[in-house]
Amino acid sequence: MTTLDAPRHDILDTTATGDNYLTHSRGFLSWALTLDHKRIGVMYMVAVLCSFFLGGVFALLLRTELLTPGRTIVDADTYNQFFTLHGAIMVFLVIIPSIPAALGNFVLPIMLGAKDVAFPRLNLASFYLWIGGAIFTLYSLAVGGFDTGWTFDTPYSTTTTAGGVIPVLMGVFILGFSSIFTGLNFIVTIHKLRPPGMTWFKMPLFLWALYSTALIQVLATPVLAITLCLLIVERTLNIGIFNPSMGGDPVLYQHFFWFYSHPAVYIMIVPAMGIISEIIAVHSHRHIFGYTYIAFSSVAIAMFSFIVWGHHMFTSGQSGVMNTIFSLISFSVGIPSAVKTFNWVMTLYKGTISLTAPMCYGLAFLFLFTIGGLTGLHCATLATDVHLHDTYFVVAHFHYVMMGSALIAMIGGLHHWWPKMTGRMYHEGTGIAGCIIIFVGFNMTFFTQFMLGSQGMPRRYYDYQPEFQTYHIVSTIGAYIMAAGFVTTAVCLMQSLMSGRRAPANPWGGRSLEWQCASPPRHDNFEHPPTVGDCYDFTPVVWDERQQGYVVDRALDTHIPHGKSPNTGGHQ
Amino acid sequence: MPSTVSTILAQTTSPMTPADFWLPIGASQQAAGVDLTFTIINWICYFFFALIVAMMAVFVLKYRGKPGARFRNDAPTHNTVLELSWTIIPLILSIGMFWYGFKGYVDLSTPPKNSFDVNVTAFKWGWQFKYPNGAQSDNLVVPASRPVRLTMRANDVLHCCFIPAFRVKKDIVPGRYSTLWFQCDHPTGLEEANGYHLFCAEYCGTGHSNMNRRVLVLPQAEFDAWMTKQAAWLDEIPDADLYFKAGPKIYARCQQCHSLDGTTGLAPSWQGLWERVSNPTSAARFADGKGYSDLIGAGKEFATPQDYLRDAIYNPGHHLVAPFGNVMPTFKGQINDRGIDALIGMMQHLDEFDAKGAWKKAPPATAK
Repeated sequence: MTTLDAPRHDILDTTATGDNYLTHSRGFLSWALTLDHKRIGVMYMVAVLCSFFLGGVFALLLRTELLTPGRTIVDADTYNQFFTLHGAIMVFLVIIPSIPAALGNFVLPIMLGAKDVAFPRLNLASFYLWIGGAIFTLYSLAVGGFDTGWTFDTPYSTTTTAGGVIPVLMGVFILGFSSIFTGLNFIVTIHKLRPPGMTWFKMPLFLWALYSTALIQVLATPVLAITLCLLIVERTLNIGIFNPSMGGDPVLYQHFFWFYSHPAVYIMIVPAMGIISEIIAVHSHRHIFGYTYIAFSSVAIAMFSFIVWGHHMFTSGQSGVMNTIFSLISFSVGIPSAVKTFNWVMTLYKGTISLTAPMCYGLAFLFLFTIGGLTGLHCATLATDVHLHDTYFVVAHFHYVMMGSALIAMIGGLHHWWPKMTGRMYHEGTGIAGCIIIFVGFNMTFFTQFMLGSQGMPRRYYDYQPEFQTYHIVSTIGAYIMAAGFVTTAVCLMQSLMSGRRAPANPWGGRSLEWQCASPPRHDNFEHPPTVGDCYDFTPVVWDERQQGYVVDRALDTHIPHGKSPNTGGHQ
Repeated sequence: MPSTVSTILAQTTSPMTPADFWLPIGASQQAAGVDLTFTIINWICYFFFALIVAMMAVFVLKYRGKPGARFRNDAPTHNTVLELSWTIIPLILSIGMFWYGFKGYVDLSTPPKNSFDVNVTAFKWGWQFKYPNGAQSDNLVVPASRPVRLTMRANDVLHCCFIPAFRVKKDIVPGRYSTLWFQCDHPTGLEEANGYHLFCAEYCGTGHSNMNRRVLVLPQAEFDAWMTKQAAWLDEIPDADLYFKAGPKIYARCQQCHSLDGTTGLAPSWQGLWERVSNPTSAARFADGKGYSDLIGAGKEFATPQDYLRDAIYNPGHHLVAPFGNVMPTFKGQINDRGIDALIGMMQHLDEFDAKGAWKKAPPATAK
């Protein structure tokens, strides 16, 4: 039994003394000035979820307005502000920071086996930059709001009379730096803080995904910052850069904007793909299929993401030759996405699948991402995109990817790591119910929008032709159902905080390092430097009645010769 | 090479394709090619979606674990043949889809040489279509069975001309011309309700969704007659009737911003406008602090109120009325002097119009 006890030793130790990152120090300042990546991750998560609530309220308001043609609840200008705010909040405040900054911050160092990120102070600074950016964005509401659409297309954005344009541009500018700092931190952490034994190809795939994401964040976001600066300069100082009446070029703006914002799509989806690789493997308790292919496809997507921005501009007046080239390259992004999808599906083959709440989100992701990805083909193909561009088809397509995939993965990841973050289990049935309601509501809301768009309904429309109304009604009802699903999920998670049973160190049977420290983890993550094994080899993971969770039985691990590891030697 | 392709296309007559689950009616030469590409991609999507979901469902049902059971350990971790096949097959399919899309796009973007030209101006928030003989219209009227090329411009912000039934779309970018062509072989007549939808697809502010117009298609002979009549409509109206016959029609393009009943929208109401500009002591101010009396009058910048109003329509940002923003596009080249006369006449007789711009008084001939 000694061999079995040894690796479990530290887990039992920490739960016994009760010291974890949540109880390590107390008081407001201990959180506000914390350098602990876990606390910063939790603060990010709270902030992101608050923003998600706000963005969701705007989504419901605009769906309600679209119940009938013409006026339903508000006038056209207010509606324009609703969809602009919904888009800007969801993109800049929610989806971009949600996985890297919130979940990534919490999980990355633990998965890696490190005590913290490379630059803890920079990490805290990036959180406060996020807060600063969010304040500017909300402040813009107080000074007249903005109605430019989240893309800030010129010359509309430089001539609109809405008063909040400059503050929100400032806000997004600042949020960009928050994103850059997080990315920089992750790159350095993964390069420099891997413990002995954690080679690149032993890293969990979530880390590969975060690494790829961080590359995009660091390389693309400065372009957005420059673009927004130029926009502010044009609007305040009347220097003609984008506005043709002052000698500028509006298409130049679109190139600048999409040079960032297309890669930004992958800032949102690549880490989500990383989460799915974890969820599918851990809850199937089976070695991930095609590890190297998934890892390299993340890097491939990150690289391709920089050379496809022109597919947002097929009808913009960009030359035909460029359209052709961009169309061809755009298909290249589809290939690594297809590779990933097939590998995930194959990971289910001959697994030992537990249909837990995170796994339900994982399966929902596969379903929705398949639709979102495949409808991208219509948009990458030139002739069909000319018809579909700027219609609800595109709206449906990117919601399937941004929300049905990125956000669903985020919520799935939240369920996956919730026991680790809070030390509490949630009620499994309620969690699954929430997932199913969201899934049904989501498809009702957005699948109808494919038909709306291909039938010719342009996006950002306050008023519409009566023949489109049936689709709009179904879509709006779907949005309410989805809202009910999110409320169910919120109730489930809140209830677990109050009365959930204590989480074991390893509730799902995971093998990566975060499941080898206590739930919640100690302030410095690991009592002893962890032993790095194959994070997708589930052979030694066995159920332990005493802990009501899984443990890694090193006697069964074929990869580490037991008794010889320097890290487990001290307990004999 | 591309131009030959489209010329050949333009010489044949295309059948009208009915609306189906995905696509609206297709009424242009190009629609069939776009629809075929769309359908091919759809079938590829159906196949892969069914494949992935079926595999998912089967695996989840078959390999569901029992609680507490040991994990099975016989699963393969990789398979190079599979990896290569799901890299290479999608790659080949992608190149196929790209090729179909590219071919369709060449047709969409290459107007045949014998195209009939229509000039289009998009503005916040409306359209003006101008024909070779000087005729103008609010709805797009085109000859049937002949390629039509739109040369489009915008003076304010981005707009986008989108005709779903023709499967064509093109952004209209201020500061440059953009072109779009189509050929429709299916006349609709002049009844607006029968026309094909024309939408603005690029967000442009408050009235974005009200920029929907119709494309009306007439057989060549009918079209020629319509165009001749349309070109002369302002000239055929006697001077005295101009303000109530032409005024309301032209005002339809002003009403999005300028009310007649004193409601303040994005721009000053016309209520009391004539009194303000024709009365030099009016207290109204411009954004630069000047009053009307500083600008209008003998020896001033504008000798008469009419001169000022004409300038305000042709050069709207010149003197901004406080507290309104610089949002009005110029109407130079769109409303001629006779049109301006009609508008000014309307301002002078505003009590004869209702709040929507309809003329309330009976014409003088039948007045009591």
